[in-house]
Amino acid sequence: MATLTDVIDRPTSQSGLWSWITTVDHKRIGVLYGVTAFIFLLLGGVEAGIIRLQLSVPDSTLVSADTFNQMFTMHGTTMIFLVIMPLSASFFNFVIPLAIGARDVAFPRLNAFSYWVFLFGGLLLNASFLTNQAPDAGWFSYANLTEKPFSANQGLDYWALGLQVLGVSSLAAAFNFIVTIVNLRAPGMSLMRMPLFVWMTLVTSILLVLAFPVITVGLIELTFDRNFGTNFFVPEGGGDPILWQHLFWVFGHPEVYILILPAMGIVSEVLPTFSRKPLFGYPVVVFSGVVIGIMGWAVWSHHMFTVGLGPVAVTVFMITTMLIAVPTGVKIFNWIGTLWGGQIDLKTAMLFALGFVALFIVGGLSGVSHAVAPSDNQQQDTYYIVAHIHYVLFGGALFGIFSGVYYWFPKLTGRLFHEGLGKLHFWLYFIGMNVTFFPMHYLGLNGMPRRIYTYASEFGWDGLNMLASLGYLVLFAGTLIFMVNVLISLRKEPDAGHDPWDAPGLEWSIASPPPTYNFARIPEVEGLDHYWIMKRRAEAEGRPITQPEAYVDPSTIHMPDPSYWPLVTAIGVLVLAGGMLFDTGWDYIRFPIPFIGGIICFIGIIAWANEPAAKEHAGGEHHVGGSHGTDPHGATATAAVMERPAGSTAPTVRLICSNCGNQLSSSFRFCPYCGGAVENPAEQDH
Amino acid sequence: MGLWPFRGAHSQTLRAGDKKGKTTLMSKRFTITRRHLLLLGFSAILLLVMACAPDAKQSTFGTSGPVAEQQLLLFNVLLWVMVIVFVLVEGVLLYAIIKFRRRPGQHELPPQTHGHTALEITWTVIPTILILGLGIWSAITLFDLDQPPAGADALEITVVGHQWWWEFEYDDADGNGKYITTANELRVPVDRAIRVNLRSDDVIHSFWIPKLAGKIDMVPTRENYMWFQADETGTFYGQCAEFCGRAHAQMKFLVQVLTQEDYLAWAESFGEPPELSAQALQGQTVFNSTGGCVVCHTATGSDSPEVVASRVQSFMTTETGIAPGPNLTDLATRERVGAGLVDLNRQNLRQWLRNPEDVKPGNYMSDRAAIYQTTDGRANLSETEISSLLEYLLSLK
Repeated sequence: MATLTDVIDRPTSQSGLWSWITTVDHKRIGVLYGVTAFIFLLLGGVEAGIIRLQLSVPDSTLVSADTFNQMFTMHGTTMIFLVIMPLSASFFNFVIPLAIGARDVAFPRLNAFSYWVFLFGGLLLNASFLTNQAPDAGWFSYANLTEKPFSANQGLDYWALGLQVLGVSSLAAAFNFIVTIVNLRAPGMSLMRMPLFVWMTLVTSILLVLAFPVITVGLIELTFDRNFGTNFFVPEGGGDPILWQHLFWVFGHPEVYILILPAMGIVSEVLPTFSRKPLFGYPVVVFSGVVIGIMGWAVWSHHMFTVGLGPVAVTVFMITTMLIAVPTGVKIFNWIGTLWGGQIDLKTAMLFALGFVALFIVGGLSGVSHAVAPSDNQQQDTYYIVAHIHYVLFGGALFGIFSGVYYWFPKLTGRLFHEGLGKLHFWLYFIGMNVTFFPMHYLGLNGMPRRIYTYASEFGWDGLNMLASLGYLVLFAGTLIFMVNVLISLRKEPDAGHDPWDAPGLEWSIASPPPTYNFARIPEVEGLDHYWIMKRRAEAEGRPITQPEAYVDPSTIHMPDPSYWPLVTAIGVLVLAGGMLFDTGWDYIRFPIPFIGGIICFIGIIAWANEPAAKEHAGGEHHVGGSHGTDPHGATATAAVMERPAGSTAPTVRLICSNCGNQLSSSFRFCPYCGGAVENPAEQDH
Repeated sequence: MGLWPFRGAHSQTLRAGDKKGKTTLMSKRFTITRRHLLLLGFSAILLLVMACAPDAKQSTFGTSGPVAEQQLLLFNVLLWVMVIVFVLVEGVLLYAIIKFRRRPGQHELPPQTHGHTALEITWTVIPTILILGLGIWSAITLFDLDQPPAGADALEITVVGHQWWWEFEYDDADGNGKYITTANELRVPVDRAIRVNLRSDDVIHSFWIPKLAGKIDMVPTRENYMWFQADETGTFYGQCAEFCGRAHAQMKFLVQVLTQEDYLAWAESFGEPPELSAQALQGQTVFNSTGGCVVCHTATGSDSPEVVASRVQSFMTTETGIAPGPNLTDLATRERVGAGLVDLNRQNLRQWLRNPEDVKPGNYMSDRAAIYQTTDGRANLSETEISSLLEYLLSLK
């Protein structure tokens, strides 16, 4: 197989379309994630628009019940799996290596793979529109409505297989970030010196790894029920539809924290920066995030208070659910503590972060009100819940994400956003969000159930529905303003400088946009908010901070080369899953296609496994692959010991692969970037 | 040099930043005011919610009976707690934003506080106590509301959910063991606990009468129950609350709360043969033979469990033909037709018989009944036949 990688040349494009298709650079992959997810955001927004248009007046006949059901199903599925999760992943990709002082993620090609699989999963899910079979059983797809007698077309198969594919992507990304955060932190960055966003990414990634297998099991059972005659959720066959609810929510509730924790991490970066003081109670904020991640596993049945679990079970889940408000509340208090006594600069990023806090309080409070089961019996499945989830996911997650967009955009592009347009965007979102979703609390309490495509005017829901629909227009305008702002800002000359916000994170110590290799020299971290400490120290000593590039010739830093194989493997996954849905009615075509997909996957993985991380370098003494009898890690590499910077108390023995120049943790025997063997001089001494 | 180590390289940016800082400052002050107004607006809406217990038909306010009232009491107390916490926390947040704004020329760093242990313990412990208190009270309410009070002579009713209508079974409607099945309009006596057994024959539905009691799901494979009691006579509105497919929005029902005497009179007279005019008799023929209505609907008394079971069986195993249909006995005494959808009158019923799809898209009668398998979905019956069928149905009382 080594021949395969020899026959096809490594991609080398540094610009143009091919460079994006074959890239393994975490920053570019972050951009791909962000842009793709934003396009899906527009799509999910259009679906929301159709919902709001239909509901703006009673007895509306704009769309049929079927279309409406497809719209709310795809709106929910899109916004959760194709928008908020990948937008968070976009930040993981772009920010995490920069924030921990690494040159890339631990597995750059796996990273590219997870992006392409995400893209294909999203396309597969939305391909259902092309065959007019969009899923229509809600984003939660409660059994047994999803079984064949009640859901005869292929919609639910698209949904189940689309989510499976997206699950592959999420798992790959989650493993990648766990390994990256655990292993690739710059020397001196102990866990309790990690920025809050890195912490929340770590917790989120662990939640992903633990939660996705549960939904995977559920989706496999659903697919088998629908296509192969099993009876997991079929009552007539002895199955239990409630089993699906448990599986779905055991995944679904940690998923809620998968959606919100990254936004909380972003806000915990933005608030201190624009208050010019450190995060208030850093350890408490970290631990409350971890505690939320753990307690998130013990509350799933609060989605099922009306299922008839009996008062004992309901009481248990009621108390655990109410208690999860404590760590959440603690975070909010600590954020306010961060503001207190600071010097608050209301830049757009800060406005979005403050908007997050203000709106999340509302969502949190309504959350407590339906944690109380007897009161939830009236609120469950009404617009009150719709209001709640939009306060935490729109007012919460999306505001946090936009805060991050405004915060890190200068780092990504070297350009500042237009502040005026940014503020206009914020105010349109803040007002539009409240006009759209606040009335829904009242609609729900007034008896309007969720997921109804029409209602009679006799129930008095007309006015507030119209108001909510008008609010949608304001949100729509806000989104347009944001797009205009992006276009305007990208067209102007770079004006951001490398540290426009006087921020504490490591990422602000390097150029904007960062060079491919991020850090010319890996920083030695001396404490929480390392770059802040450096800046203040330089200030006290009255000297400027020199750019790290000054020390190292960047041409000596070797980064992993682009690769075709993640894309090929991802295409294999797409063909494998999509082929199962390709129903021509002629089985001779239908059945081979998934196998072809499997073969493509196989070829992709083998070629990937045999491909060295970096192409042979001219003049390099190492030789990789190809000839017989060579050690696959044939590179000869030695370890270098980094010198101790003056006045530093950080640990000193760190390894640099002399083959590719990457910073390694001492636990590596082989360089994860280039496969070069690593010798640890510290070990040899003993 | 001081604060700006990059003055040399970035002076251009910095100056631009300073200038921007000045111009945006005024707009910032303006926005703060707006934000303030907005929050005031929220509080106003919240107060509105609390102030009026709206008499909208399907509201969770304006409750009747102990179950809904206790649930509402809990919510109202929660609402006040929420409002107080909301005002306090958002108030402190707003105060901090206004008070600690960065002033022009502020170059010295603010005090770099890292935390305050006592404060942090306080704001962890206080919410915990508050929440545990609420939790204990909620748990007590939860257990209280689980079953009708001991000693109450509860009327037992079984509700079966169908896509997309409701079947009501009384095992002992009149105290003498009379068995009644009816559909879409529940009749119950006032001031008497009603224990409801909840079942479903197809997918998951949820039984909800907002003014009388919160919802409980109807799950195939489960024997769920709930209870409620109405303190006043009148019509109450219910709706399916769990998404159950195409016509979920139109799966509604009415609860007629009658005085004890009226209820008993209804129960005793239920199913007595109606008086039929000549035209109605023709309609009966259409019902029983030409139209084939009788395959799915019973109009002459309660459905026997065997008949129901066979209809359900046929519905689940075939894609055409039979589906369970609402019992039509005493249809003319009902207020609405189509599962709480439209008023029962000659015009609406005629429209329903001609083409049910126009009234309630997705219903199984259009989907399965032989007479509606036409190109335009209109009944394969003459106008005369429809008129006589109408006459027959309207004499069922």
